[in-house]
Amino acid sequence: MSNRYWKGVEELSNDAEFVRLKNNEFFEPLPIDEVVSNKASESTLTPRRDFLKFLGFSVAAASLASCEAPVTKSIPYLIKPEEITPGIANWYASSYFDGYDYCSVLVKTREGRPIKIEGNSLSSVTKGGVNARVQASVLSLYDNHRLKGPSINGGQVSWEQIDKEVSEKLNAIVSLGGKIRILSSTVISPSTLKLISEFSAKYPNTKHVMYDAVSVAGIRQANQESFGQNVLPTYNFDKADVIVSIGADFLVNWISPLEHSKQYAQTRKLNNGKKNMSRHIQFESSLSVTGSNADQRLAVKPSHQAAVAANLYNAVASLAGAAPIQAPATELQKEIQAVAKELWQSKGKSLVVCGVNHSAVQNVINSINSLLGSYGNTIDLDNPCKLRQGSDADLATLREEMNKGEVSALLVYNCNPVYTLADGDKFMNQLQKMELSLSFSEREDETSRACKYSCPDHHSLESWADAEPRAGSFSLGQPTIAPLFSTRQMQDSLLKWTGSSQTYYDYLVSYWNSNILNKAGKSWNNVLQDGVLELAPNTAKQYSSNANLGAAASMLGSLTGSGFEIMVYEKTGMGSGVMANNPWLQELPDPISKITWDNYLAVSPKDAREKGWRQGNVVSVTAGSVKMDLPVVIQPGQAFGSASVALGYGRSAAGKVADKVGVNVYPLMNSRDGFIMNYISGVDIQKSPADDHEFAATQTHHTLMGRAIVKETTLQEWQKNPNSGNKQLTYKKKIGTHEELDVKPSELELWDRHEDRGDLSNHHWGMGIDLNSCIGCGSCVIACTAENNVPVVGKDEVRRSREMHWMRIDRYYSSDFDPKPGEEKDIKKMEDPSDMPKVVFQPMLCQHCNNAPCETVCPVIATSHSSEGLNQMTYNRCVGTRYCANNCPYKVRRFNWFQYSDNTQFDYNMNNDLGKMVLNPDVVVRSRGVMEKCSMCVQRIQEGKLEAKKAGRKIKDGEVNTACAQSCPTNAIVFGDFKNPDSEVKKLWKPEERSYHVLEELNVKPNVYYLTKVRNSGNGNQA
Amino acid sequence: MNKSYYLRSLAFLFPFILSAFVSLNVFAQDGEALYKANCTACHAINDKLIGPALKDMHKRHSEDWLIKWIRNSQAMVKAGDPVAVKLFNEYNKVAMPANNFSDDEIKAVIAYVKAESEKPEAAPAAGGAPGAGPVSQEKAPVGWYLVIALSVLLLLSSVLGKVKATLEKTLRQKEGLPEPPPMTSWQKTLHWARNNKKLIAVLLVTFTLWGSVKGWYALQSIGISQGYTPDQPIAYSHQLHAGELQIQCVYCHSGAEKGKVAGIPSANVCMNCHKYVRQGPTTGKEEIAKIYAALDYDPSTGVYGPNPKPIQWVRVHNLPDLAYFNHAQHVTVGKIDCQTCHGPVQDSMTVAGQYSPLTMAWCIDCHRKTEVKMEGNAYYADYHKALVEKHGHDYKITVNTIGGLECSRCHY
Repeated sequence: MSNRYWKGVEELSNDAEFVRLKNNEFFEPLPIDEVVSNKASESTLTPRRDFLKFLGFSVAAASLASCEAPVTKSIPYLIKPEEITPGIANWYASSYFDGYDYCSVLVKTREGRPIKIEGNSLSSVTKGGVNARVQASVLSLYDNHRLKGPSINGGQVSWEQIDKEVSEKLNAIVSLGGKIRILSSTVISPSTLKLISEFSAKYPNTKHVMYDAVSVAGIRQANQESFGQNVLPTYNFDKADVIVSIGADFLVNWISPLEHSKQYAQTRKLNNGKKNMSRHIQFESSLSVTGSNADQRLAVKPSHQAAVAANLYNAVASLAGAAPIQAPATELQKEIQAVAKELWQSKGKSLVVCGVNHSAVQNVINSINSLLGSYGNTIDLDNPCKLRQGSDADLATLREEMNKGEVSALLVYNCNPVYTLADGDKFMNQLQKMELSLSFSEREDETSRACKYSCPDHHSLESWADAEPRAGSFSLGQPTIAPLFSTRQMQDSLLKWTGSSQTYYDYLVSYWNSNILNKAGKSWNNVLQDGVLELAPNTAKQYSSNANLGAAASMLGSLTGSGFEIMVYEKTGMGSGVMANNPWLQELPDPISKITWDNYLAVSPKDAREKGWRQGNVVSVTAGSVKMDLPVVIQPGQAFGSASVALGYGRSAAGKVADKVGVNVYPLMNSRDGFIMNYISGVDIQKSPADDHEFAATQTHHTLMGRAIVKETTLQEWQKNPNSGNKQLTYKKKIGTHEELDVKPSELELWDRHEDRGDLSNHHWGMGIDLNSCIGCGSCVIACTAENNVPVVGKDEVRRSREMHWMRIDRYYSSDFDPKPGEEKDIKKMEDPSDMPKVVFQPMLCQHCNNAPCETVCPVIATSHSSEGLNQMTYNRCVGTRYCANNCPYKVRRFNWFQYSDNTQFDYNMNNDLGKMVLNPDVVVRSRGVMEKCSMCVQRIQEGKLEAKKAGRKIKDGEVNTACAQSCPTNAIVFGDFKNPDSEVKKLWKPEERSYHVLEELNVKPNVYYLTKVRNSGNGNQA
Repeated sequence: MNKSYYLRSLAFLFPFILSAFVSLNVFAQDGEALYKANCTACHAINDKLIGPALKDMHKRHSEDWLIKWIRNSQAMVKAGDPVAVKLFNEYNKVAMPANNFSDDEIKAVIAYVKAESEKPEAAPAAGGAPGAGPVSQEKAPVGWYLVIALSVLLLLSSVLGKVKATLEKTLRQKEGLPEPPPMTSWQKTLHWARNNKKLIAVLLVTFTLWGSVKGWYALQSIGISQGYTPDQPIAYSHQLHAGELQIQCVYCHSGAEKGKVAGIPSANVCMNCHKYVRQGPTTGKEEIAKIYAALDYDPSTGVYGPNPKPIQWVRVHNLPDLAYFNHAQHVTVGKIDCQTCHGPVQDSMTVAGQYSPLTMAWCIDCHRKTEVKMEGNAYYADYHKALVEKHGHDYKITVNTIGGLECSRCHY
């Protein structure tokens, strides 16, 4: 089987426009007129002479200006902190939790500024993994949209005044018997929970309500009913041989994605003699990142997920000899039977997870797992997960109280109900009428705007914190920078209002000393240094479900909806929308659609054909009382009769970056049996007369012209032949040269071999990328952006294919169509299987070719080769001919069209002093008119070499790591020194097995290699 | 006999008398030496340091008390001497170390302090006038002499011209020649030029050559700040500290061995010495007081105030952002002396200046010449072996042979 890959439906259907664009990387003419005259509307032409005059003048002005160097001040510390050496980074262990993502992190600071976040490998929960959102949070610290101090009704006041007023009001409300409510997202800080309970004791009638924007309360409720434990279990994906997920995007969003992706990757690796990998089957409606990685993906409408669960139960039950339940009909009966058989064969080593937030469905899932013996093996109820504690029922009670007007005070902490509730407007009106409405939000948002009092919290990088993401696994967070603004930690505010004179730091230390440290026999400083403290875990016991399946089954029927359905989901970049005002995340292409700066209605190609929608059409969606206009994206893999759209967009008060980007689709969330569901049935969609929407997608640019750049095999084939799917190019014919006759084309080189060119070298750097472990999450892209000062260019420039990301993740869809000679243009045939494609992700970055085509064509030798195997780019030598980009077969070079720093046109982070604080001082900020590209993090290489030289020792493998490799949550990227025989990168290089170079026929000899993708096609049971 | 007896006895006594004078002299010198060796760490005559200012201590206390106090102050405090206890408490309960000096030695110290107390407060040795640092000293105005000489010459030539014109006129009148037609000054110049074509040509060529050479060098020096020696907010002298006082460069520029930036020392590093050294040999108290002002430090009480103001030094060495330079690579790994790039800082730099051109050509030049210190550094062990195997022992391994001229070593 040879799969054919294409990069988007435009390529598939060979639109005339696409054909025109794909042949030109830079498909628009130079905007010299706009740049020079700055009056594009007035005249479109600048006479040549005028242009030369401008040119002459600017050359003269530039050289005059450069004659006199400005006086630079150098201001040392007055009293230098002992731990700071200017020019040397300090690392602090900390914890990140924003109510959605948890991560144990290491924060890199330079001269007191946090500039980069990496994972902390000491944590058994996140195991050194880190995702795009957590890494991008460092930029949110330097966001001008953060609140600069406390305010009442929008007017700046002092903390003393606000403390006085709030205390008075709270006391008045208590004396009148009014209700006080603290509304927050999940709080996993044990000390904060204790503090809130103390606050509640001081002000009786206080109740703490937790809710999650994207809720999993159904799982907790089901566990209560099945096992009498209102908890979320810890899932052990690493112990599972067969993984079945019904709509759970567990690799990037669901509950504890970093933990899951680390575990999942372990089961997918085929290195170091490991011969087996897990089998992953995904039932889902929208094409998620997790679904893209599945060995088998089955599309179902969102409301049919319940039916899949019920039928899967019946299939497993029939194998286990248990009684069946009443199950709604499903078209996938045959596939479900096969899946059940696979699960049953791996009894005790299988895992079924489900993303439907409803206790009835989750009870069925619990029963399946119970029959499969998953509890105590792949599911651990004895060390429960503490994330996503939000209760839909508590929230409903609060809303009820608010409707009755009983709530006098609402303190909103770390959540944004006005935005994330389906009826946010109603909530806002009620909030505004309250006696005391108070927001702790560190940045202005829809809710803080509606609150009378604003007591802004510190950013997490300025705060003390503790966290318990899993029972018995604790972590500490410490400030890595002094507060930038006059903000105060929420806990300090609560302490103040409870009349305590303690600071939260003292409170935290004493809490830890008496509750946590005494159990572990560790000191505060030890834990602070490590960032984590883990008590011995409880033994995971076996459980069997006591759920009332009959009752659950009777509810399932009502869950199965009819008509067109829309599901809302979270993107890997935006998540629930907490960090919407972060330009790095806005510009991170969606892993699947490769669209930036937008959300959209993703519909299946079949539905689009039937309804006559085209990409970019705007449609009017009516779902009950909710009406909204959404642009259409045609998304292969989307289940027929349904569409999906991402949360987190359409902000109205999040700041200059996020506002008016996309549409807020939280109103599509709806409550069913007390659970907040992420899909809605019976939706009416009509084409809107509005003009077509323009997307900024990175997907149809930089095409690789249909060449075999992704190699793929199946596990079963690979076990038989480790080289399967990785056929090397063989040339039977020999060709003659002027020097020696009879050379194989693969041995013929246009260039001198680099190793022969100069002397020997001490290192030869290289990288291996395992396509089998890459889940396409985009963590590496953000890591690269943060490390290398990659500018944000904005939607408009992305549309002109001028995105600056040094690395991208190519996503290829496949189809089983195998064109025979003469059939290549049979577009119709290629179209059919494309509706449900397989997906491959391929991180693409400068391949650091040893015979680099870019180096050959540079007229000024601005790009050259180093003796250590790096393709060097010297910005100050570059004159911007862009020949190199045109000659690069991988299309990984980026041209700076504008000066992105200090430019009002690019109003993101680089044009203000605050935003610039995130820049890495070891990497130059590139100027207009030069090429740039991946440098293999040469600053890190040089730093690692220097440390080794200073200490007089060899470089250890893994000591020098690129930002992308470091941040990869699945360790798909391996970086190292080929000259070190013990290095991982050297050991993984086995061309006789899975390693290959992309476009090896060009003989450019890259220093980056890939490992073939292997899919586990199962034991023949699958459909 | 009497006479001889006196003479003899005198001769006998002479050495004693002499030694009495001499010993008196030694006595005073001992006091100074003892004071300087033992007391100055904590005491000054006129200033309060860790201990009190010693001026007029003989007036405040009896000699017996002083001897007892200086020998073992803690014993006195323990014994409950009220004066001793008061002093001890007043100076933050810092105990003065006990010692084994003899009474005479202590008396010598007291005598020295007494003598010093009676002297008027010392003025700074040189350049004591306020504001007269070495930076602002003006040199004799050479330009003025030139102007005077030039005007004298002009006067002379115009007088001579007049004389010549008068003589010509007289000659013409005498010989009855007609007056030449009157000429404008422009016509006169042209007339002169026609008569001096060779001179004009030579001048023109000389000027063009001179201008081209000057212009070429002027263009070459754009962006190069060699010799840049800006005024600094504090007249700190490297010559004094690194030269005379032999303080190691890295004592203050401690980052040079560790990382990228050598670093300008923070004011607390200055205070390691200047808490006690309050007066310099050149500028007296004035410049040192600027450190105190920056830290809001009151030397009389030893208390740091709440209003420190950072010292805004002017940066001397400005590498462009596009070039990455790391001190540790050169100082710690390459074992290059600071002076190689920064010049004889300790000998001649009263104010720090840029000694080297800091151009890329200069960097590359050095990378071509400098041999890599590979021996003894395990980092290079295998590499060195391989290089020696290939090229032999006599092969000079310079920085450029191991890739020291590659772009990405400095530009990223």
